[in-house]
Amino acid sequence: MARSKPSSSKKQPKRGVDFKKIKRKIGRKLPPPKNATNTEIKSKAIILPEQSVASERAGLAVSKKGLTLKELLQQTSHHNAKVRRDALTGIRDLVLKYPAELTLHKLAIIEKLRERISDEDKVVRETLYQLLKLVIFPALKKDVPGSLISLMMAYIFNGMTHLATDIRLMAFKFFDLVVQHYPSSFFMYAEKVLQNYEDILRKNHIYLQDRSKLKNALVGLVRCLSLLPCNRRTVDPSYGKNTETQGSLHAYELEVPKEHTDFSSIIKRLEDILPILVNCFQDFIPLVHPMSSLDAQSFDCMLYLLRSIDLSVKFFLYGIDKHQTDFGVTKPTYNEKDMPVWGEIATPVFLRKFLEVFPLNQLHNTSGKDEDKFFILNIEITEIFLHSNEWIFTSAILMERFLEFIENLLSGKIRFNSRSGKALQEKHLTSLLPFIPRLVSLVANTWKSRLLQAFTMAFKDCKPESTLNLAFLSAIEEMLLPSKRQGILLLDASEPEILDHQITWIRELPVLLVRLGDTLSSLSKVILHLLLRLGQYAPMNSSLAWEYDIMQHTLGEFYSMCLDDGSILYGPFMKLPKDCQELSVCCLYYFSSLDSLLLRSLVYCCLCDNLEPSVLFRIIDVLHSAYKIGHLQLVDLISFFVTLVARWKVLPGRLYTHVENAKKISNRETFKAITGAVCSCLRQMGDDALIFQIVQRVILDEIPLNPPIDNLCGMLRLLVILDSRPTKLSEQSIIILSNSISEYLIDAASYIPENGDEVTDSNQISICQYYLVPCFFLFDRSDKLLNLVLDLMGSSIGEDNSSLACNHDTQHTLDLSSRIVAVVSILLYMHQDIKIRRRLSSCKGEITRILQKMRLQSSNEMGNTLEERHKIQFSFDRLKIAAGQLNCWDADELKIISLFE
Amino acid sequence: MEVVIASSPVDAGIGCWDLHSGAEQLRYRSCTSTPHGLACVGQRFLASSQLRDSSSSSGSILYWSWSKPQVEVKSFPAEPIHPLVSNSDGMYIIGGGSSGAIYFWEVASGRLLKRWHAHYRAVTCLFLSDDESLLVSGAEDGCIRVWSLFMVFDDIGMEMAKNPYEYSFSEHTLRVTDMVSGYGGCNAIIVSASEDRTCKVWSLSRGKLLRSIDFPSIIEAVALDPGEHVFYAGARDGKIYIASINAETTSSNSYGKHIIGTLSDNSKGVTCLAFSKDGILLVSGSEDGTIRVWDAKTHNIVRIYRLAKGPVNNVLVVRRPLYSNRQTSENSHSSFSRRHAPLLPPPLGKYVNSTDENVDSGAVSVPQTPSSDIMDAPYLSYHVLTKQISELQVFFIFLS
Repeated sequence: MARSKPSSSKKQPKRGVDFKKIKRKIGRKLPPPKNATNTEIKSKAIILPEQSVASERAGLAVSKKGLTLKELLQQTSHHNAKVRRDALTGIRDLVLKYPAELTLHKLAIIEKLRERISDEDKVVRETLYQLLKLVIFPALKKDVPGSLISLMMAYIFNGMTHLATDIRLMAFKFFDLVVQHYPSSFFMYAEKVLQNYEDILRKNHIYLQDRSKLKNALVGLVRCLSLLPCNRRTVDPSYGKNTETQGSLHAYELEVPKEHTDFSSIIKRLEDILPILVNCFQDFIPLVHPMSSLDAQSFDCMLYLLRSIDLSVKFFLYGIDKHQTDFGVTKPTYNEKDMPVWGEIATPVFLRKFLEVFPLNQLHNTSGKDEDKFFILNIEITEIFLHSNEWIFTSAILMERFLEFIENLLSGKIRFNSRSGKALQEKHLTSLLPFIPRLVSLVANTWKSRLLQAFTMAFKDCKPESTLNLAFLSAIEEMLLPSKRQGILLLDASEPEILDHQITWIRELPVLLVRLGDTLSSLSKVILHLLLRLGQYAPMNSSLAWEYDIMQHTLGEFYSMCLDDGSILYGPFMKLPKDCQELSVCCLYYFSSLDSLLLRSLVYCCLCDNLEPSVLFRIIDVLHSAYKIGHLQLVDLISFFVTLVARWKVLPGRLYTHVENAKKISNRETFKAITGAVCSCLRQMGDDALIFQIVQRVILDEIPLNPPIDNLCGMLRLLVILDSRPTKLSEQSIIILSNSISEYLIDAASYIPENGDEVTDSNQISICQYYLVPCFFLFDRSDKLLNLVLDLMGSSIGEDNSSLACNHDTQHTLDLSSRIVAVVSILLYMHQDIKIRRRLSSCKGEITRILQKMRLQSSNEMGNTLEERHKIQFSFDRLKIAAGQLNCWDADELKIISLFE
Repeated sequence: MEVVIASSPVDAGIGCWDLHSGAEQLRYRSCTSTPHGLACVGQRFLASSQLRDSSSSSGSILYWSWSKPQVEVKSFPAEPIHPLVSNSDGMYIIGGGSSGAIYFWEVASGRLLKRWHAHYRAVTCLFLSDDESLLVSGAEDGCIRVWSLFMVFDDIGMEMAKNPYEYSFSEHTLRVTDMVSGYGGCNAIIVSASEDRTCKVWSLSRGKLLRSIDFPSIIEAVALDPGEHVFYAGARDGKIYIASINAETTSSNSYGKHIIGTLSDNSKGVTCLAFSKDGILLVSGSEDGTIRVWDAKTHNIVRIYRLAKGPVNNVLVVRRPLYSNRQTSENSHSSFSRRHAPLLPPPLGKYVNSTDENVDSGAVSVPQTPSSDIMDAPYLSYHVLTKQISELQVFFIFLS
């Protein structure tokens, strides 16, 4: 309390003043009131990495300048040309970087871009063109809906009718681009496009100044026209086409209707366009005649104009041809009634007028370059002429001019001067050659021979690797053989001059084949096909067939050649692919009498390791078939077969080492198959006795050459197959055979499985049977042979004994002991066979002699090691037991044998 | 009575066996037939073209009647005839010559109605499509041509047309060995075999190659399954390969693409094949002189006949009228049988007669059908039907 008092007393004096007057000086800032709200705003700078708008587009595709596709597309319609251009390049960058963007937004992109087709600015259009050409169309190649194209086309047509010529011409270029990538689009808009072409060409004098533009438009026209169907007279070997690998032939086939295009409207348009093209071309002709050289642009224009004319003429011809085809041969792609028979009156008139200009280079310009150009143009005109030849009646003078030109071209009197001329000439010649056969068949006789002369010369001069050969060959085929479609001969082979040319061509074929080697197997195939057709279709007993027969002398070189020093030079046959080999083998069938020289070169090929076995079997087949129809002498065929069996190289290789020598085994299997094939051929030939005599004779010639065991086995098989019981072998041949058979048996004995160890390798048993069975057959049929062979075996044991004294070669003695073992194992093996055992029992004398010899050997201390003597002794015992089982020894004889012990 | 007839290039006669009982019938003597050179003309008699020495310029075609083993009629055409075919009612005989010409004879009169150059080489096989409007010929040069018989006799039409034939297929590189056609007349498929080791399937309606099948050996004969699911190809290696036409082929097996199996009896090469009318029994002739009858469903051999030591080159399955049987049994009544013996037509002409026989060439003489044929052929349908029904019943009982 006391305290509160003073406090209250203190307050007392202040109470009198309610509000203290505060004096303030002017200009002095008052302190803020205590309860004042702090209204101060504080701020800090926020540093953002990007602009605020950019943050939304994280993860979006942007161009180099950081613009999205949407922005870029918006910018394409900017009023500033530069911005538009930049936008287009931006789109290009973006699409290249993010291809997915394009596929996602293709519709939007195209929708926006098409507006630029008729852009006023040249650079923008050009950029757009590049963009479409390089980026968008290649990327969209796979899936482009028709709607996309139609989107574009609306604007392209708009551009085509634009007032500005630049834009107009550019629109054609765009259309060209579309057609280039989507050829089918032409047919959808053909009528309209051709109409536009017609318009622009009609006013050509306007554009004549700017020829590069006109050229661009014409390129497009050529491309479009080349899509039109036409008769393909080009070189296309129809053979070798593979048949569709349809699983089930009777299955219901869904027939998709082919895109039906209304050709009638195109025909009408083309009818209008053709005269304009001709006129346009004639406008250029004044440029040709002055001495001034022809500039490249107008040359190109002329060339394209000619091409367009050519293509439209071809199309009309196609229509006419279709009109005439018979039922069922080819289905017309459009209705007959759509096809007006065209151009019989009006069109040829102006075409004829057009062709009158023909030799363009009458003035003989001095510069070589120009001459080339004229030359090309002339060739193009000639081509048009040749196409139209079939339905225009041309005047004789014009005809002469053309024929002369063709002749000069063939004979090479007209040449290109420039470096690349050679290739160009070949290219153009290729396009003209298909017409030659028809031309030759139609023109008068004098021209016929002149043309043929030039043709033959050109063919002979043609280098083997040249692409021209293909065209030459198809022309030759047409002139030699009845054509596939009509079945009639174009040329009458009874005229000696024509025949001469035909013979020259035929002779040239094998030469060409050999010169080609294996470099161009496709061309070789065509030649072989031609040869085959010739063999098939040449009328019997005609001079052509005769020429075909003569050809085999030159054809030998194609297979192989035996050089003077005995080595063999393999021809191209060995290196060609299999289908060519088969074709060439088929050609053999048609020679009316196969020459033994050709057979010899063929057999060298057959003996070569590199030849595929399947081809070898084909050769055997074909030769056998040729024999059947009397194209081959029996003796020749048999000696071919026997040579094959006797000389075919079986690679040495023991069977039980098959793990490492898989190939060698297959080789032996192949040989077995060859022997089998030959056997079955021999058996089918007919008179067994006669064939046996021939085979026997040939084989006896081969046997003294000591063939390897496999080959001898093969030959024995041939004999056994043809022989009968009792044997038909002559005395003399039995003697020769017994010599080689005894050696053969001793060799074969090494394959007999050892009796002791029970490892009966089934493979080894089978090979052993393979070797021995033919001998058993022979023994079964001829006792004499068996006697002789046993005799020889016995003497071979003894013979070594006698030679031992003078020959201390240890190898030899080793041979002797193993030889004895071999003989014994053979005899034991024979003993196992019931039939042969019966035979053996009749030759006890020989066996006794063998036993005696062995006894002698085993007792012979000199030169024989203990081990060998033991071996001999062991064999002796085995043989003795077997001999005892034969039941042919009576008691006395057995005693004699025991005496030896 | 369904019989198998077979002939051989060596003189073993024409063998004749009852297909179902297996009993051998009469053997017709002295026949050395060419491949495809045996035909049964309208079930009335047998005809076969003969192999001749290459020296003789003319060919020879022989006739045998069913009842006699001896050759009854001999004709000598202008050149050796290889294949021989006749239409089903036996009005015509068509033969293919060694020069590539095809001969067309009328049987009843023996006249050569037409001869035309068909091929550049000898004709090897011929057949008529099942509606007998198309003739298909194969030749030594591997060419196959399809002729419309209608066109062949239309001289003006022939000249007008670009080619006398309908189609010419030249995809085979070597001799055509055999051909067979399916059902459907001009819409059928044909299968051809060639020495180039392939068989090719063609469409007659579209005129194009449908399929080419490579075989491991030369195919000498083909026969088509009646359902046209597969065809059988008799090969020179003795096997009969089965190649699929209608099945989707899976991975190629050991023989090759489209080949689904074999019938094999380790025999020599198969030279000819024929199907029985029921489509179950397949008859094959072999190089070793035997004729095997296979059950195509089970792939087993049903029966083996033996013709000769030499190869068999023709096998046919034909229906033989019954009257000839009775005739042999009634041989004692010689006068009776002679009266009843069907007279064989005259020999075939050598050349086309261009003389003015136009008057009667308009009418085609129809062969008289022997009256006894009709009398003796009993109608068995009722018995067969009842028998089959009872069999089916047994089958169903067995199933349930």
